[in-house]
Amino acid sequence: MLNEIKLNMNEMPYLPPREVIEAAQKGLSNLNRYANPRDLELLRGLLAAYSGVSKKNIILSTGSDPLLREIIHVFSRRRKVIMVNPSFFPTVQCAKEFVTKLIKIQLRPPEFNLDADIITSETNEPSLVIIDNPNNPTGKILIDREMAKTILDNKNTLLVVDEAYHEFSGVTFADMVEEHSNLSVVRTLDKAFGLAGARIGYLIAGEDFLDAFSTFYAFLPQSSLYSAMEAVKDPSYIKKNIKLTIKERERVGKKLKEMGLQVYPSTTNFLLIKSNIPSVARELKDKGILVLDLSNQWLPDYIRVSLGTLKENNIFLSSMKEILRICNKGE
Amino acid sequence: MKKIGLIVNPIAGMGGSVGLKGTDGGIYKKALKLGAKTVTPKRTKELLSYIKNRNEINLVVAPGKMGEAYVREFNIAFKLIGQVPEETSAEDTRRIIGEMLNGGIELLVFVGGDGTARDVYDAVGSKIPVVAVPSGVKVFSSVFAVSARAAAEIVDAFIEGTNLTEEEVLDIDENAFRDNRLASKLYGYLMVPNVKKLLQAGKEASSMGKSSVDSKGEIARYIVENMDKETLCLLGPGTTLKAITDDMGLPKTLLGVDAVYNNRLVGKDLNEKGILRLLKKYKSKKIIVTPIGGNGFIFGRGSKQFTPEVIRLVGRGNIIIVGAYGKVSKLDCLRVDTGDFEIDKLLSGHIKVIVGKKEEMVMEVRC
Ligand SMILES: Cc1ncc(COP(=O)(O)O)c(C=O)c1O
Repeated sequence: MLNEIKLNMNEMPYLPPREVIEAAQKGLSNLNRYANPRDLELLRGLLAAYSGVSKKNIILSTGSDPLLREIIHVFSRRRKVIMVNPSFFPTVQCAKEFVTKLIKIQLRPPEFNLDADIITSETNEPSLVIIDNPNNPTGKILIDREMAKTILDNKNTLLVVDEAYHEFSGVTFADMVEEHSNLSVVRTLDKAFGLAGARIGYLIAGEDFLDAFSTFYAFLPQSSLYSAMEAVKDPSYIKKNIKLTIKERERVGKKLKEMGLQVYPSTTNFLLIKSNIPSVARELKDKGILVLDLSNQWLPDYIRVSLGTLKENNIFLSSMKEILRICNKGE
Repeated sequence: MKKIGLIVNPIAGMGGSVGLKGTDGGIYKKALKLGAKTVTPKRTKELLSYIKNRNEINLVVAPGKMGEAYVREFNIAFKLIGQVPEETSAEDTRRIIGEMLNGGIELLVFVGGDGTARDVYDAVGSKIPVVAVPSGVKVFSSVFAVSARAAAEIVDAFIEGTNLTEEEVLDIDENAFRDNRLASKLYGYLMVPNVKKLLQAGKEASSMGKSSVDSKGEIARYIVENMDKETLCLLGPGTTLKAITDDMGLPKTLLGVDAVYNNRLVGKDLNEKGILRLLKKYKSKKIIVTPIGGNGFIFGRGSKQFTPEVIRLVGRGNIIIVGAYGKVSKLDCLRVDTGDFEIDKLLSGHIKVIVGKKEEMVMEVRC
């Protein structure tokens, strides 16, 4: 459907600058060729500079999702895996299938706090801790540097922090990778950079992870590679888009609260909303608006809504209002 | 053609708009005085308007506002059964369902809340499957569909052919609920068409692969494989625990506490006394329980036999909690209310729940 409003995948609603799109087009004109390894090295260098780490720690991938899967496949054989619930769904699914022992820590509303003591007591045997920070779908920062350090002090523990939304939250542990060999940070250009269609992810890998990734070499599609190079070379455009998104986040959040809905503080480009209308996601879909219904994976009555453009958000708000009006009339 | 019964509790859900919680007993008169409107007509009409396979249905309906009144405007073949007075009651619901069953219905669709579900359970038991359309103030039992529209889809699925699953009927104490206390216990199980994503608490993403029946079986296998023969196992109520005894080829009291030792049943539908006697006899002991869907109670509701004294003697470390992932992940926490503050405190804090053979959830226990 052409007119669908997509607020279900936490994408950036704005196109990247013209130069980035033109770079992708340039890639398409060489469609018969693999990417040039030199260009891949260039991108690694650009990402290293952008992240403030050394190039040797950067691993490229087609999206960050394959990196998380690879980590689970390689490191869960002799380790138990600890995650929070809810968490980025595909990663959880992968863990469910492959790991020998999975511990999930249930986050409890309304605070969704992660108790450091649980992780400490669970990591008494070799463990792989995977945490999305900020967490998807609560939008909350779950661990701070102190907590990360405590986890990392245990050398039997590997910590993987998924920082898909760090540009929105401003919180990163990338600079700790140098000092802590048992830390890796997973990142993506799909979100803040607005390059979801290019699918570029990267790992900032601590020493303990590097060996396992020595043969993991992603030949990125040319158009993705060139657009990413162009984007990371001058990432100033993302600042404006992030600012717009945050402004919309606060505005939409406020309006939803005025409608009597429960909205949780977010450090990302999406909002977690509790509605008391079990069918709300479906009713929004009927109105052409896609959101993520969390009742299938977690607690009932919760939906996750990405921030779109001002216009899209307004359509979402008025649709919500309409749904609430009809529901309240019936009760 | 399928013969399907439809029964509506016309007063369910009326308290909501006027701030009352539930309409059990005489409360609904108070609701009327406060200007409450009935919501069941809207829900019932929604249900009927969304059913696709209307030509495949022979409806059997109760007269007047218990059914007939809403059916007429739809193009569905129907037959009337029974008689109802002006002011309807639970007794009417049970009686008319009885007549419908005698008339050979294959599925019962009912519109109401937790109270209605209890009346339906009394009349239907496990004779035929039901589809529960939520129309209460707050509907907790997992038998319910998520909405009237979802219920219509479940009816369609039934007509097109689907397997069945058991879902909980909860006994909500409305007086307690009015005081903002959540007090409920397990009342029984009804059979429902197994369309997980459309059911309230059984909702489990189809991409998760397993139905709740499968995962109960997997948990049971895991528990039995790791069961120490020399340990007395006290099994609480519920289908999750029944899956364990099923796996061992033993019977289970669905709503009671049974005990197994060395692959044998050594206690059936035990009360506190019976449990205490067994605890004296056996050195190593464990309690295995599952949380109630929706509210997460592990002790204090539905298994009063596990008294503070019993829990003290067994010890927190010997309590095993099991539950299908689809049920457990939908709980914000586990709850206890044993009536003994010290025991409640002892049980509080984080505890692990076995949700699969290689998967555990860390949950907070609150009192
Ligand atoms: C927490 C988190 N991690 C990873 C991803 C996937 O990122 P990518 O698109 O780079 O695979 C997402 C996307 O929604 C996410 O929310």
